[in-house]
Amino acid sequence: MSDKLIAKLAVLSDAAKYDASCASGTAGKRQAKKGDKGIGSLTGGTGICHSFTPDGRCISLLKILMTNYCIYDCHYCINRISSDVKRARFSVQEVVDLTINFYKRNYIEGLFLSSGIIQSPDYTMESMVRIAKALRLEHGFRGYIHLKTIPNAAVELQNEAGLYADRLSINVELPTQAGLNKYAPEKDLLAIDGAMASMKEKIDEHKNSTTYTGKRLPRFSPGGQSTQMIIGADGSNDKTILTSSVNLYDQHKLRRVYYSAFSPIDHASQLLPLKPAPLIREHRLYQADWLLRFYDFKLDEILQGANGDMLDMQHDPKLAWALSNRQLFPVDLNRADQHLLLRVPGIGARTVQKILTIRRHGQLRWADLVKLRLPLQKIKPFISVVDYSPSAKLLETDQLSARMAQPSQMQLFGGMV
Amino acid sequence: MKTISITTVPGFDEWRAAARVALAENLHPSQLLWRTPDCPQNDLFTGGSDQLIVRPPTASAIRQQVKVPPAFMSLCEAALCHRDSGRFEICYRILWRLLHENRELLNHKTDSDVIKATALAKAVRRDAYKISAFLRFRKTECRGQEHFVAWYEPEHYSLELKLDFFKTRFKNMCWSILTPYRAAHWNTEVLRLEDNPEPLIYPEQDEVESYWLSYYENTFNPARLKVKAMQSQMPKKYWHNLPEARLIKGLIRDAEPRARAMLDKAEGGD
Ligand code: SF4
Repeated sequence: MSDKLIAKLAVLSDAAKYDASCASGTAGKRQAKKGDKGIGSLTGGTGICHSFTPDGRCISLLKILMTNYCIYDCHYCINRISSDVKRARFSVQEVVDLTINFYKRNYIEGLFLSSGIIQSPDYTMESMVRIAKALRLEHGFRGYIHLKTIPNAAVELQNEAGLYADRLSINVELPTQAGLNKYAPEKDLLAIDGAMASMKEKIDEHKNSTTYTGKRLPRFSPGGQSTQMIIGADGSNDKTILTSSVNLYDQHKLRRVYYSAFSPIDHASQLLPLKPAPLIREHRLYQADWLLRFYDFKLDEILQGANGDMLDMQHDPKLAWALSNRQLFPVDLNRADQHLLLRVPGIGARTVQKILTIRRHGQLRWADLVKLRLPLQKIKPFISVVDYSPSAKLLETDQLSARMAQPSQMQLFGGMV
Repeated sequence: MKTISITTVPGFDEWRAAARVALAENLHPSQLLWRTPDCPQNDLFTGGSDQLIVRPPTASAIRQQVKVPPAFMSLCEAALCHRDSGRFEICYRILWRLLHENRELLNHKTDSDVIKATALAKAVRRDAYKISAFLRFRKTECRGQEHFVAWYEPEHYSLELKLDFFKTRFKNMCWSILTPYRAAHWNTEVLRLEDNPEPLIYPEQDEVESYWLSYYENTFNPARLKVKAMQSQMPKKYWHNLPEARLIKGLIRDAEPRARAMLDKAEGGD
């Protein structure tokens, strides 16, 4: 290793940091078999966070670009051909060595590799596949590999990538073709959609079928696929963004949609807005996304609590929904079914499970809520238990919404969901 | 009053053996005094009590083994790695209550013994998770072979909970993990434990560390400073063993000017 390599690493990790998908996804468990010379394991859940940077994000993977040279001209991207940023390029071997060396010191769970497009989409994709292949076959690497596939690369390359990667992704970037036309003229929503559809097909095929001799097919991108959308670079509103997420989850069975508030970049294009998108907007989108996936919420319910087509920035989406559906409250914690319990602001899925367990053995009282350390101020207007119910006034007053609004400080410190 | 002396850390096996005997002798939790190596002041109160003799269980004792829910054993396994010197007492009390009072006790999430033991276990599991996250190996040579060494100071006795993790993940590497109370050495086949190890074998440096520092620095986005979010996951107490932590202060200090410079540049429309 050398100083030159450190300089490259600096450029190519700097260029990769705007990608929001930082954590490794779940791809099941995996470890070296007996007598096998490999290294690494997957522990089951989401990957371990090996460090945290002062932007509050977890470092789980070595997240780098193979190169930041690019022949495309996407305006929101620091690597577009018209930007005068410093350029660098790793060789296949260099990426492999860095990954293994970092892994052996317990710095990372694996590799997250994306790349600018050099020469052609196929050429770029092929080099990325070689990296994943060398890690798996030459080093017996059993850690996590996420490849950001290159739009417009040949489907055969994508298919090969899926044999070595735990997760594949293609960034949608902007939710509408109009947005792409303006900011990423070479990108085509239909082509991205097509690539996702064929990835989904492959994933399903490998999961469910066996070869004619009855052997199971090798795993294909067992951690599924994900994507990212940039928020606030084009004019798309939250309804448009979430509608497109719902489609992605439904149609292509994506594991995750990541939202990345547009953040000013060095060497920015003049087409872009000057100001960063507020982080709170990104935060609210993640919260809404969470409700859609894990709390039985439908998109139109979430929009009931929105201001027109934009999410309420003052209240989290669950609270906003509750405030516009006050007739349903207070909810009796000793009687309500799971579906309704999940909708009480301030009560999460874990607490709901605890409440249901406790109910099997007795009735909940106010003191129990204290012991469970629930956010009493927040839930007070919305619940009742044996020895407590809120005064009717508490729910009716218009001040409720004001009282529940989060101080604007949240914008600075609100963590990710 | 009977005294039970636990002599090893974390002491899970000793606790289990003693608890078995105490149950067989039908000793109520209030009749027991647990003495632990990390809490000698218990000595002050032991006057007038006998040592409980813990013998290996007889065949008949094994036959009429006490049956407890598996959730209780996994709760104890974690909770007993805590440094809290009351850990043995509370686990025994829960055991007693499970058998004499209510088999469903663990489902009573608002019972104060359950809350306490769960809190101990949770703290230990978090501590153990942080070992797998924040432990850093440095490479050295040992008899011509690569050997990776780490020094780590867990808050509790939680190293044992993570040994399987390291054995699996770094199966084909020779490594040593040193903690103030115990070291684990792995030679790709056998795990050897050593009490009160010599910290000196921890290498001063590792050339790959400078790559790691460079990565840490550059993957940080200065436009999004969220120091509190970082510290809630990586509190300062971990910093002194993390090589990258020495960069944090400077990164925070320079973040605002760097972010502003980016904005200015964008507005100037270069
Ligand atoms: S193709 Fe990718 S790397 Fe190239 S300019 Fe567009 S977003 Fe940036």
